[in-house]
Amino acid sequence: MRLRPWRVAAIVVAGIAAGLIWNAVSGRGLALRANAFLREGDSIEEIPAAEAKRRLDAGALFLDARPADFYPLGHITGALSLPEDDFDRAFTRLEAPLRGRFDIVVYCSGFGCEASHLVARRLREKGVAAAVLLDGWPAWTGAGYPTRTGADP
Amino acid sequence: MKALQLLLAVALGAIFVYASVDKIADPRAFARIVYHYQVIGPSARLGFAPANAVAVALPWIEALTGTLLIVGLWRREAALVSALLLVVFLAAAGSALARGIDIENCGCFTVGGEGRRAGWRLLAEDAAMLAAALFVLGAPARDLRDRAAAAAPAR
Repeated sequence: MRLRPWRVAAIVVAGIAAGLIWNAVSGRGLALRANAFLREGDSIEEIPAAEAKRRLDAGALFLDARPADFYPLGHITGALSLPEDDFDRAFTRLEAPLRGRFDIVVYCSGFGCEASHLVARRLREKGVAAAVLLDGWPAWTGAGYPTRTGADP
Repeated sequence: MKALQLLLAVALGAIFVYASVDKIADPRAFARIVYHYQVIGPSARLGFAPANAVAVALPWIEALTGTLLIVGLWRREAALVSALLLVVFLAAAGSALARGIDIENCGCFTVGGEGRRAGWRLLAEDAAMLAAALFVLGAPARDLRDRAAAAAPAR
C-alpha cells in the first residue's frame, strides 16, 4: 500500500476545517484575536507599557506576580512582590496598603505568563481593582522604563 | 508483524482520540496552555491569533487522526500525521524545557486545573509513541522494495 501525500494533507486540512467550524458554532469557541487569559465575565483592564509608565509617574502601585525569587533580581521601581503561587500569604501581608487603592497595576514575565491575570482576578474577588500590564516585564524593560534590583521595594 | 502494527495503530489511535476530547470541550483553556509554551506566541509581533488557531485546530487533527488509526482507513497516512504531531509535541516540550519554562500542565490530556508537567518523562513517552507511529507507518525499505517489484518486468 503506497503512501499518498494528498491524504496526509487532507487529514490536516479536514482537522483544521472541523476545528474552525466547531469554534464558530459550538458556543464554546474563542475569538481568534482575543486573549484567552481573559475569561468570560472578566472585567480585567489590560494596559500597554506606555500607559503603565504614565500611571507609575502618577503614583500607581505596581504588583509583581512572578514567583518571589524573581523579585530581587529585578522588578519595576516601587513594585511590591505579590507572587501568584503564594497569593494568600502575600495578600494577608499586603492587604492594608492595597485596600483603597484604585491605581494598581499587576505584571508578570510576559505574554506566555498567566500569573498577572490570576492575581488581578483574585484581587477582584477580594474587592480590589487592578489592571494588568500587557506583555509584562519584557515590555517594560524593552521600553527602557525604570527598574531596580534588591529585596526591598 | 502485521498483528503488532494493527495493535499499535489502535492503541495510538485511542490515545489520540482520548487526548483530543478535553481540548475540544474547552478550546479557551487549551489556548492558555498553548500560550504557556511561548513557541508561537502570543507575543507583541504575532499577537494572539496563531496560538489561538493552534488551540482550535490541533485537537481536531488529533481526533481525526486517532479515529482513522482505529478504524483502519488511510492508516499509513494517519500514522504519518500522528508522527508529525508527535515531532511537534517533542519540539514544543523540549524547547520549553531548554528555555527553563516550567509548564505545570502539558495540555496532553487535560486542560483544566491539574495536569501532567512537561518534563523528561513526557519527552520519553512522546518518543515512544513516535516510534510506534513510525512502526505503523511501515518500514520505508519494504515500501521501496514493493515499488521496485511492481516496476520490474516479470521474468
